[in-house]
Amino acid sequence: MLGLAGWVTFWVFFAVFVFLGFYGARWRRGNLNLLHEWALAGRRLGIALAWFLIGADLYTAYTFVAVPSLVFAKGAYAFFAVPYVAITFAIAMLLMTILWDRSRERGYITAADFVQDQFNSVTLALLVALTGIVAELPYIALQIDGMRAVLEVMMAGMSSATTVSEVALVVAFIILAAFTYTSGLRGSALGAVLKDALIWLGVISLIVIVPLSIKGGFSTAFSIAAQHKLPTGVETLKPVFLAAYESTFIGSALALYLYPHAVNGSLSAESRKALRYSTALLPLYGIGLALLPLLGILVYGSPSALKLLSEFPASERGLLAIPALAATSLPAWFAGLVLLGIFVGGMVPAAIMAIAQANLLVRNVIKPFYRLSERGETRAAQWASVAFKFLALGFVFVTPLTYALQLQLTGGVIILQTLPPVFLRLLTRKMEKYSLMAGWAAGMLSGILLLVYANHFGPIKTTLYPLFGHPFYIGMIALAINLAVVGLGTGIAYALGWRPR
Amino acid sequence: MGGLTTGEKVAIAVLLLIPVVFYMVYPAYNYASPELLGVPFFYWFQTLWLAISAVLFTVAAVIWERGLSREEKR
Repeated sequence: MLGLAGWVTFWVFFAVFVFLGFYGARWRRGNLNLLHEWALAGRRLGIALAWFLIGADLYTAYTFVAVPSLVFAKGAYAFFAVPYVAITFAIAMLLMTILWDRSRERGYITAADFVQDQFNSVTLALLVALTGIVAELPYIALQIDGMRAVLEVMMAGMSSATTVSEVALVVAFIILAAFTYTSGLRGSALGAVLKDALIWLGVISLIVIVPLSIKGGFSTAFSIAAQHKLPTGVETLKPVFLAAYESTFIGSALALYLYPHAVNGSLSAESRKALRYSTALLPLYGIGLALLPLLGILVYGSPSALKLLSEFPASERGLLAIPALAATSLPAWFAGLVLLGIFVGGMVPAAIMAIAQANLLVRNVIKPFYRLSERGETRAAQWASVAFKFLALGFVFVTPLTYALQLQLTGGVIILQTLPPVFLRLLTRKMEKYSLMAGWAAGMLSGILLLVYANHFGPIKTTLYPLFGHPFYIGMIALAINLAVVGLGTGIAYALGWRPR
Repeated sequence: MGGLTTGEKVAIAVLLLIPVVFYMVYPAYNYASPELLGVPFFYWFQTLWLAISAVLFTVAAVIWERGLSREEKR
């Protein structure tokens, strides 16, 4: 349980965060009745803000709750997050700058806009848009899990802690929905700066203070962790997980910029140059991401954190690991700040993701079938962003806190199936649209079947499936099937006389 | 990528691919020692490569944007 000073700093800075969220509406003022002003902050983010905003997409509850929890529970495999962030920015530098150029030329706001224009197909764009909306839901749910983990640690030991934390979560969501509605992406961009300052402060202080407070520092924590025989290895990765490690980081790296929120973030950059430089510098952001999994190991060396965790069911302990470490090893007022960082670290990305979903729904699902004025388009998106947030919140209340990272990896399996019409189209025109639809269907079907099968028809605990005796990330298996169908279909189309426009 | 010379294109491709190749070549980093402040090699060496990646990518970005702005001036 967090001391009083911690509660004070938590709520004071939460108030500052909320102020920034609403103040965003006035900042670099634009006509918020226009969708690109509301959803892309008028495309006016320079190198620094684009860096923060795109970093905020990456630096989410995924990073400071889900990845450390997977290290805590499974060991070295979870470190795939590090090569993932390095490689994803190489991909983004190449592809997102091309998309940025085309979007500026042709007025695209979403990846589905691009698909619709390039293939002249409402159906294919609809598939891409719906895939994006669905894939984003488990990712938002993961953010909410992170926020819930913070509240549970803050209230540990209190009577009726679960009810109170659920009420607090709902209240936080109403506030979030209100400022996303009024300020759009501007509110999130400003909130992201505060959030990042708090997160960096938290990561750096924890990584310095915790090892110093443990006798023998990291060596002790690693050797205690080794005694727990984590399944994928502790000091190194067990060789049998090589394929799992590599296919997961490649799959995650390919998936990130297919997510609607990452497309949205990239298109909000003020220039191609700002986007290129901020992307090139983003791996630096990943260093904090690399330190967090190490904290998942350090928990094993901290008796007070382990004691706090022992009050919770074993299955939830992983997710609570970092909040518990902050609450037990830092002075209360400071722990309050760090916990707030983790809390808003779930809120900001959840807002950005819901904005991106709303864009897709309005532009690519509703608009082709129902005429909307510019103002009506923006209103619809604002309300949709509210609806999506509460949909995800409902999702969280009915699923257990465990295996949060698998939520994101499940989203990855789904979103990867849009790679051919989006990423490949940026590089080549030689793909035929019906083959892309067939490839999408084959990839989606095989991905979902493998997920269901690998988890024995139960809740999703793994996103790996063994091939030739080695586990592989299901997203990559499904993408390979998808690509094979696209290639085959396009080959047949060529044979029948089809030629790229 | 129009407007870049072949030399620039090759340089950019190589700079972007170096980290990808490094992380794919798993025997390059899957060791416990040498440790750094008690952290096994597997963890700190991969982390160090994030900083190296940022440097390589920034160099690639400079070459790229210079090439494009030269093109736009013409």
